[in-house]
Amino acid sequence: MGPAIHARRLRKSFRTGAVAVNGFDLQVLPGEVYGLIGRNGAGKTTALKLLMGLLRPDAGEVRVLGRSLWDAPRGHRQRVAYVSQGQQVPDWMSLSDLGRYTGHFYETWDSALLKEHALRWDLPMDVPIARLSGGNQRLAALALAMASRPEVLLLDEPAAGLDPIARRELNSCLIDVLLRGDGCTILLSTHLLGDLERLATQVGIMDHGRIVAEGAVEDWQRTMRRVQVVFAEDAAPRDFTIPGALKSQTLGPVVTALARIADDAQLAAVRALPGVRVNVFPLTLEELFVDWFREPSAEQPEDRQADPSQPGFPARAAS
Amino acid sequence: MAPKLHLQIDDRSGVPVYRQMMDQFIYYVAGGTLRPGDQIPSIRELAAALGVNPTTVVKAYTELERAGFVEKRHGKGAFIAANAQALTTAEQEDALRRAAKQLAVEATQLHMSTPKVIDVVREELGALSTDRAADEAPVKFAVMNGGR
Repeated sequence: MGPAIHARRLRKSFRTGAVAVNGFDLQVLPGEVYGLIGRNGAGKTTALKLLMGLLRPDAGEVRVLGRSLWDAPRGHRQRVAYVSQGQQVPDWMSLSDLGRYTGHFYETWDSALLKEHALRWDLPMDVPIARLSGGNQRLAALALAMASRPEVLLLDEPAAGLDPIARRELNSCLIDVLLRGDGCTILLSTHLLGDLERLATQVGIMDHGRIVAEGAVEDWQRTMRRVQVVFAEDAAPRDFTIPGALKSQTLGPVVTALARIADDAQLAAVRALPGVRVNVFPLTLEELFVDWFREPSAEQPEDRQADPSQPGFPARAAS
Repeated sequence: MAPKLHLQIDDRSGVPVYRQMMDQFIYYVAGGTLRPGDQIPSIRELAAALGVNPTTVVKAYTELERAGFVEKRHGKGAFIAANAQALTTAEQEDALRRAAKQLAVEATQLHMSTPKVIDVVREELGALSTDRAADEAPVKFAVMNGGR
């Protein structure tokens, strides 16, 4: 079975000359939950729109369930659901109107599931969408997307604007989709990295229009560490690097790195250096994200970026 | 009937979620809340209750089974294995050894003599046992957050 989502060397620029997506590679296997993270403006929304076939790429390949959605027949497009950041449902209609109207176009439409979500999320079925709060409008769009029983679900910051309870409901609804066991593939962009620790199987960091690092969440949690090495002298030796470092910073005698530590033996040689102290801290996805994008400090011109061709990183693109 | 479990996932700990689940099951076995033959929740139940991806629960259960804590009975679900208690002791010793190794490294870096290190450990143990007498609550997962 091929990947559910495939993108290769995707590129999209806009008339303003801005290049939103450039060299975007992505493979998501059936049943995976892939979390796309990145700073605002990294190109996440454009990438999702390209995948959904709402934008035409300038160059590159894109396939969802085996073909491009840009020119796919309706039957194929219906196997994929997309919930955008902005409002997209006609807001003069109520949820039950929308269910009836949209349901006509789908063979897989599950009106019972729509009612179930409405009940669970306290969404009134007979009130125009426009009269709902922003958060509830978003949940209504999600409920409609789920009711089509998609094989691929593309969600652009689904939790933005939701209160903590609604967010939890959204997460448990995604878990339900996974528990249904029909192999639904989910790709979501988000800034809520704590949720990804529980939900996602894969995570990709997007920067300047492409994925710069990706890996299995569990593997990152197990191996990504903040390592701090403190030398007894006033300054760290110039040629010193922490084995496995992906990003590294030196401040006098202190070298701090975001490092991939598969096995503590990797640091044995460093620990054996005379007078050196080594501290290893586990990292949450959020801390990892912050470390990844941390600007090198200004007073340290010799700050170096560790070799990106480090073995095993980015996890899948390289192997 | 299976005992009531309060499993928790901390998504700020940096410890893999499957490992957190494993540690808590092992903790429940060590504490006697879970006994050999007790049924553990189904994958579906646990995934829904904790709000975690079902594949993560599968991973935790598979690892627990591989380590011998849990056994699957065809069509009936998963149960705490007969010799889980004995394994728990071994696991605790492993965890303690990992911590001791770290302590040994630090002590060497600080050029501390062995008797001094042992004194410090003894003092800390003493302080803890007075604390513990005052408050019977066990130190939660203190020695079991392996995999770091």
